[in-house]
Amino acid sequence: MIRSVYILGQEGDVLYSKEYAKSESKASLVEFLVNLVQFLKSMDLEGKTEFMNVSISRIFFAQRELFTFVFIADKADDAVQIEDKMTQLVETFMKDFANLATAKQPLDGFDSKVDEIAVTMVKVAILGFAGVGKTTTLHLLRGETLPLVHDPTIGVSIKRLPEEVQNANIVLWDLAGQSRFSILWAKMIANAQVVVIVTDSTLENVLRSKKLVTLVKDEVPEAKVIGIANKQDLPTALTPERVGQILSIPTYELVAIDISYRDRLIQIIRKSILEGKAEIKAA
Amino acid sequence: MPEAAFIVQLDDFQGFIVKKRHPSSLALTETMLNLVFFEHQQGEEEAIRDSDIEGMRIASFAMEVFPGWTVCFVLNEDDVLEEISEELTGMGRFMLELMNADPESLEIEEILAKKSSMPAVDDEQKAAAIFMTPSSALLLERLHTEGVESTAKLSMWLKNQIQSENVDLLEAITPLMDSGLVTVEIIGKLETAFLMKDVFPHRAPPVKSFKATSVAHPNLMPRYEEYLKSFFSPDPPTRGYNPTLPVTDPNSPILEDREKIARILSNSIYYAVLDCLRNGPLRLGQIASQISFPDGVVQGALWAMEAERIVANFEEEGVWALITNPKMEIFMPEFILPIIASKLEEKKVGSDTARRYLELLVQTWSE
Ligand SMILES: Nc1nc2c(ncn2[C@@H]2O[C@H](COP(=O)(O)OP(=O)(O)OP(=O)(O)O)[C@@H](O)[C@H]2O)c(=O)[nH]1
Ligand SMILES: [Mg+2]
Repeated sequence: MIRSVYILGQEGDVLYSKEYAKSESKASLVEFLVNLVQFLKSMDLEGKTEFMNVSISRIFFAQRELFTFVFIADKADDAVQIEDKMTQLVETFMKDFANLATAKQPLDGFDSKVDEIAVTMVKVAILGFAGVGKTTTLHLLRGETLPLVHDPTIGVSIKRLPEEVQNANIVLWDLAGQSRFSILWAKMIANAQVVVIVTDSTLENVLRSKKLVTLVKDEVPEAKVIGIANKQDLPTALTPERVGQILSIPTYELVAIDISYRDRLIQIIRKSILEGKAEIKAA
Repeated sequence: MPEAAFIVQLDDFQGFIVKKRHPSSLALTETMLNLVFFEHQQGEEEAIRDSDIEGMRIASFAMEVFPGWTVCFVLNEDDVLEEISEELTGMGRFMLELMNADPESLEIEEILAKKSSMPAVDDEQKAAAIFMTPSSALLLERLHTEGVESTAKLSMWLKNQIQSENVDLLEAITPLMDSGLVTVEIIGKLETAFLMKDVFPHRAPPVKSFKATSVAHPNLMPRYEEYLKSFFSPDPPTRGYNPTLPVTDPNSPILEDREKIARILSNSIYYAVLDCLRNGPLRLGQIASQISFPDGVVQGALWAMEAERIVANFEEEGVWALITNPKMEIFMPEFILPIIASKLEEKKVGSDTARRYLELLVQTWSE
């Protein structure tokens, strides 16, 4: 995935930077990039994108006029796909923003363009106490056969959604709900853009889940949080409205063992991803 | 000893990624990776943990400085963990350091065969960490003039210096505490920092190596001497390296150079190679076998240190020698005593604080 984006000026000055996920230590990286710019002056890339491996990362770079464009990505990434994105970035920047950058003006609107190009992976974490139906929800989203028995998840189970949303892969993190695994939750939701809090819609469970909402707001304040009132087929179920009131987050009904809910749920997650992006843009 | 091992990283997006494994046929499941990771979340410190997972006995190792990374050794039936845990720790540390510095060159099979190991970070390296964190180095300077100061005041001073509210005193003071330079205690109701030790980062002439050379490689001596002379005492008007010039002197090498020294010393791979060369000149292969590192890794370290004028290569003979010996010299800050005395007189510190300082100083330096 693309972890960060840098655009540097002629003197190695950072004109734009954005970090999507942690990579090597940032200070040494910037120092490296400045040296790279100096070095690139002495050669001609002929508009091509090149890359080099540095430790566990792969650094892609291209040059156009006085600007140097850099992506920090992973070695495992598909180089052709990233080079493609580099071309898009360079073209977008040169067309509408190069003049602004030269005049040292703010690059209004550029950030969301970068998001559209560079976000290749969106993390959606599924959080909730044991047996509420998280793994069932994961299978439902992936269109897989639904398990009918509770086989408790160990640690975390990580799977991709078959569909992309706006050219980005959706990675689902289905966390283990058993209390012994609670020490992992804060770590495992790091960098999630969307957190789905699943409840089984019983009063007791929903009240307990308020704690999860607090955890998520503390740990990943920028993430979009939604509630799921699962097991709506059971007589003990509170209505989704009631669950939403208690949790104070937008909440949706679900019967995770019923395949007919799949499309609806995917739309909900899709919408949350897009809303999340819009909010970041507005901020 | 284990013959199978793997290195796994938990990536915030992609989850568990097995970065290296040996043998390549080693089959691993998500559950196994989860359980190993979970083991290490229950205590933060650097440690070996063992787990029995799906019929496999795994000894795993993680370090706080590399969050998300774990090295796992698959134990054989007759392995007794207590007997080999020290070796596994050393190998685990080596693999994580190398994974961070030069992952391409890491071959698990080779490391297991050679038992390549890395010792725990030693005092010199801990002191080097101070100069890798600019706010720590600043704080140390402040303590040179204060000796004893409440952490609240230090925090305020630091914010003022850096002109920012986003200063984390804890982050700045941790390297100072880890290296034993500073002790923090509550005196009365005031959290107070005491400077117990001072450190002088500098390059010393490589005396031991020089002596060893005169015995083992007399033919190198003229050129070796030339190297040292050009660094430490070149012919005028060029001035040699003189670390005792005050920092304010434009010729003082300290400011920029101490960061270079610190960077080299705190890199555990460079440090191991450097430490070998302190005893005398060696061939690359000799260094590699002394510390059981892969040749490529030693080569990388030598080049990096050559660029910083720490080692030199006698190409014809194929020998590497230390030309400057980077050091973190730790000593007693007796210059603080008069400072405390006058602070006491001016009632800037209480007598309990002054007495405690003396006690601590005696405790620290009496062994
Ligand atoms: N009646 C009913 N049962 C459900 C529903 N969703 C899930 N279940 C059942 O609830 C049980 C637990 O489901 P899981 O998805 O494994 O639970 P989990 O939240 O992943 O649990 P942990 O992994 O332990 O945290 C299974 O027996 C599911 O079949 C639902 O909507 N209605
Ligand atoms: Mg589960």
